Amino acid sequence: MMNKQLMCGILIIGIFALIAILAPIISPYEPSAIDQNSLLMPPSRQHILGTDSLGRDLLSRMFYGSRISLSIGLIAVGISTGIGLALGSCAGFYGGMIDALIMRSVDVLLCFPTFFLILAVVAILEPSIFNIMIIIGLTSWMGPARLIRSEILSLKEREFIQAARAIGASDFRIIFRHLIPNAIAPVLVNAILGIAGAILLESGLSFLGLGVQPPIPSWGSILIESKSTLGIAWWIVFFPGLAIFLVILGFNMIAEGLRKAIR
Amino acid sequence: MSNILEIRNLKVNFYLPHQTITAVEEVNLDIKKDEIVVLAGESGSGKTITALSITRLIPPNARIISGSIKFNNENLLGLEESRLIDIRGRGIAYIFQEPVSFLNPLYTVAEQIAEAVMLHKNKTKKESILEAKALLEMVKIKDAEKVLFDYPHQLSGGMNQRVFIAMALALQPRLLIADEPTTSLDVTTEAEILNLLLQLKNELGFSLLFITHNLSIARKIADRVCIMHNGKIVEEGAWEDIYHSPKHFHTKELIEAYEKIGKI
Repeated sequence: MMNKQLMCGILIIGIFALIAILAPIISPYEPSAIDQNSLLMPPSRQHILGTDSLGRDLLSRMFYGSRISLSIGLIAVGISTGIGLALGSCAGFYGGMIDALIMRSVDVLLCFPTFFLILAVVAILEPSIFNIMIIIGLTSWMGPARLIRSEILSLKEREFIQAARAIGASDFRIIFRHLIPNAIAPVLVNAILGIAGAILLESGLSFLGLGVQPPIPSWGSILIESKSTLGIAWWIVFFPGLAIFLVILGFNMIAEGLRKAIR
Repeated sequence: MSNILEIRNLKVNFYLPHQTITAVEEVNLDIKKDEIVVLAGESGSGKTITALSITRLIPPNARIISGSIKFNNENLLGLEESRLIDIRGRGIAYIFQEPVSFLNPLYTVAEQIAEAVMLHKNKTKKESILEAKALLEMVKIKDAEKVLFDYPHQLSGGMNQRVFIAMALALQPRLLIADEPTTSLDVTTEAEILNLLLQLKNELGFSLLFITHNLSIARKIADRVCIMHNGKIVEEGAWEDIYHSPKHFHTKELIEAYEKIGKI
């Protein structure tokens, strides 16, 4: 018995994932092909979602943009959850000095507003897709680390951990085989929420011109290009916004649905 | 006969935020090869802490203050953690009170037992699972084939305890420490598990340290009984001697309680 919320979320994300994978096949035009004869065309038969101020087909650009936005979300969260898992489980398992050291660094990092931290780093490094992924990942592992630590703290008192120790399992083995698999469910929910956050962050960065650089399309960079023509071409701002909204809604629905299913 | 385990003058303290409690004091205990020693006493008398101290499995807020624990003439208290890991499971194995909470809920019976085998014997997963099946047959589980792929919550308490025994004996330990393994089971299952342990002991040849508060078990299986009270071993001897001429007042109390239950 699957819950509706989870199914709905999976459906939305499934469609977007399919679009991202099939982008080169289903795009009607090249995403950066400029057509001087059809500037700022509203949605029509030829251009389903219209064209932008350079005559590029918005639908094709959004298809390709979904690849960038989704992969940034996935990889950034992969990095942050990975770091969070490693540090959080060490902190929870060993306690004492190691715990104090890791958790106080978390506290310090949480004091910085993440967005401005990222802005500062991007300003120094070159803003490329690869850098954005890494930077978002490296600045958002504190939440997962705290979550995992608290899970491990309660799990390590359970009897089967003592039993594993009694048959001669090493610390490493106890952490990776007995503790983390039992703690993974809430972490997974948190990670899926994190994907939505990362996509939003990337859109924000691109909108400020510090994210993905033109002519590569991402949903955020399409949005920023629409800024100057906002008054005459509503479709360029509407559709990327809608896509971001739907994907974040989808991921949130999956996370919420999973959380309920796990309970 | 030679001693397989020698505990001398063991003292264990618990450090709580505002006080220090001595849980075990001046404990001396010898276990010979193939001997069954029953350590009996009320709750909180330090039986479990004594047993866990042997391989340093005590909780983090407890510390062994003094004493020596020799296993095969090797002082376990001086050993490094990495050497001790080798002795846990292979030399000294444990079975515990609530088998279902001592098994990891995420893994099947086959995986749990295979883990013990894989940890010490360098075998592939497939070989270990075959060995797990043989071990389940050894502890007399019917339909071993099916039980292998069950999860702990699908099995009864008695079945889980058999699985746990199979896991503990997977590496042919020289000493098995059973910490109230039948307390959570009903009387008939208790008898089955006790008989199984005795039979396995004869087949495989290991020493058994059996912890209980139930003197009727001591009467049934013990070569030697040690009575523990307030962290000390207050009396030690064969069942007949202790039963007929108890010296310590706490032994008398335990025997009175045992006889009362017997009359019901």
